[in-house]
Amino acid sequence: MALLTVENLTKKYGSKTVVDHISFDFGHHKCIALIGPNGAGKTTTLRTLAGLLKPTEGSIQFESQAKNQDLREWIGYLPQYPSFHSWMTGKEFLIYSGKLAKLSKVEANKRAAELLKEIGISEDAQNERISRYSGGMKQRLGIAQAIIHKPKLLILDEPVASLDPIGRREVLVLMEKLKQEMTILFSTHILNDAEEVSDELLLLNHGKLIESGSLIELRKKYQTTVIELQVEDEVQPYQEKIRALNGVSNTKVERDTLLITTTDMNQARENILSMATKENWKITTFSINKASLEDMFMRVVNN
Amino acid sequence: MQWMTLFQKELLENWRNKKWIWVPLVIILLSVMDPLTTYYLPQIIDSVGGMPEGAVFEIPEMEPAQVIMMSLSQLSSLGVLVVVLVLMGTIAGERKSGVSELVLVKPVSYMNYISAKWVSYLLLVWVSLFLGLLVSWYYINILFGTLTIGEFLTVFFFYGMWLTLVVSLTIFYNTVFKSAGLVAFFTILTIMVMSIITQIFQHVLDWSPNNLSSYILESLSSGEISSELFATAGVTLILSILLIFLSGLIFKRKEMAV
Repeated sequence: MALLTVENLTKKYGSKTVVDHISFDFGHHKCIALIGPNGAGKTTTLRTLAGLLKPTEGSIQFESQAKNQDLREWIGYLPQYPSFHSWMTGKEFLIYSGKLAKLSKVEANKRAAELLKEIGISEDAQNERISRYSGGMKQRLGIAQAIIHKPKLLILDEPVASLDPIGRREVLVLMEKLKQEMTILFSTHILNDAEEVSDELLLLNHGKLIESGSLIELRKKYQTTVIELQVEDEVQPYQEKIRALNGVSNTKVERDTLLITTTDMNQARENILSMATKENWKITTFSINKASLEDMFMRVVNN
Repeated sequence: MQWMTLFQKELLENWRNKKWIWVPLVIILLSVMDPLTTYYLPQIIDSVGGMPEGAVFEIPEMEPAQVIMMSLSQLSSLGVLVVVLVLMGTIAGERKSGVSELVLVKPVSYMNYISAKWVSYLLLVWVSLFLGLLVSWYYINILFGTLTIGEFLTVFFFYGMWLTLVVSLTIFYNTVFKSAGLVAFFTILTIMVMSIITQIFQHVLDWSPNNLSSYILESLSSGEISSELFATAGVTLILSILLIFLSGLIFKRKEMAV
């Protein structure tokens, strides 16, 4: 049974449809990336799932959710630009968040201490006002407040967008670790991040869910069939020979690289390589382009 | 439990941002200003050069009851303004900065969120009012004559009701507008409109909250608390509670967190 099932979720502001009948579901301990260009409706989708916005249409159903039960108990949420009570210390804010999430005073204290250690905020910094925290510390504190009550679903809106490479790495590592305990749904437009930590992808554009599936599935689906060939000398002379081979549909020279479009990848590869061995070509690069998420993204978005 | 967490947060916040210091101080200042200046008026006039030769200026004898009403009149204008300024961003500001997004995504009951704010600010306002009137009372007893403790408590309690309404009204507008400026503007506008309506329809609106001050004066001069004063206080309290409930409903309906 899926942890969360979303059906026909729609959010309209006046006549403007920001999220347009999207449906998806996902299971436990997954990491799902919601990707899409700016203005695609990612934040609105996440806010609706977090219960901050009410859907205009459609339903959001948690596994084992009783009727009228408050969804928020199971959700941890970090907005894109979290702001805190900056007059509180980091530790105070975590304890406060924990108590709001219905932990007892003792539990809240314990969890706060645990989490502060986990996210690496030093003893000194814990007791400093949040107004003095750096961007990275705030982001980590934001994640800590979101998971203090051990939610089943952690929703992160652009968790790494505003961070420097070191901060980004820290957050990604933290997410990798959290995946063991809960399902993470995060939005991003940085495709490398999505590729790195997520198991499943949801691709949103103009409020519509235009593609979804596991990374491997999508890769296969959008696999490009292009071979890149480079040789020590000019690549030009080989163009005609290769074009004549079985399995090759077209060739194109781009600076020092020969791009070979194939109809049958395996056949083309075999033929090219055997010819190369026979004629002793001085190959420097022979690569089959793995479809990068970016290619896929561009193709899907532009269609 | 959750309510206490929210309530403690409000108290701590108002302690850290010094509201617990400056609000009582301002209220004390406003309360004693008129009684003191009235008493020392001759000396003040002398010290700035005195009256011209031959001018006759008689300063009327003031009754203690009249003097404490002077404190109330200061509180009704500037005091109310201070209360509104203190409260105008309590929810609107949190929404604007985005903290409410973090708070309300937790399983927080909206009613708890609002009522914790309400009670914590009522505490601040009532304590400030108590201190202000206490100091005023002290000087009145020294300078103008006796005002009994019963009279003092009457003034404190019933005038507190008026400020309770002001607090509730500001919180209500906090749930309507996201901008603190609009909250302040509409709260003050509402108070002004209420006062105009009360004056125009004086013959039917016996129990309008705006009449609290005049009933307080009446009861001080007659020496007993009239049924009108009780009824008006009752109406004021009910209005306040209704406003808070309404705020809670608006909060539930509206997408308040963002």
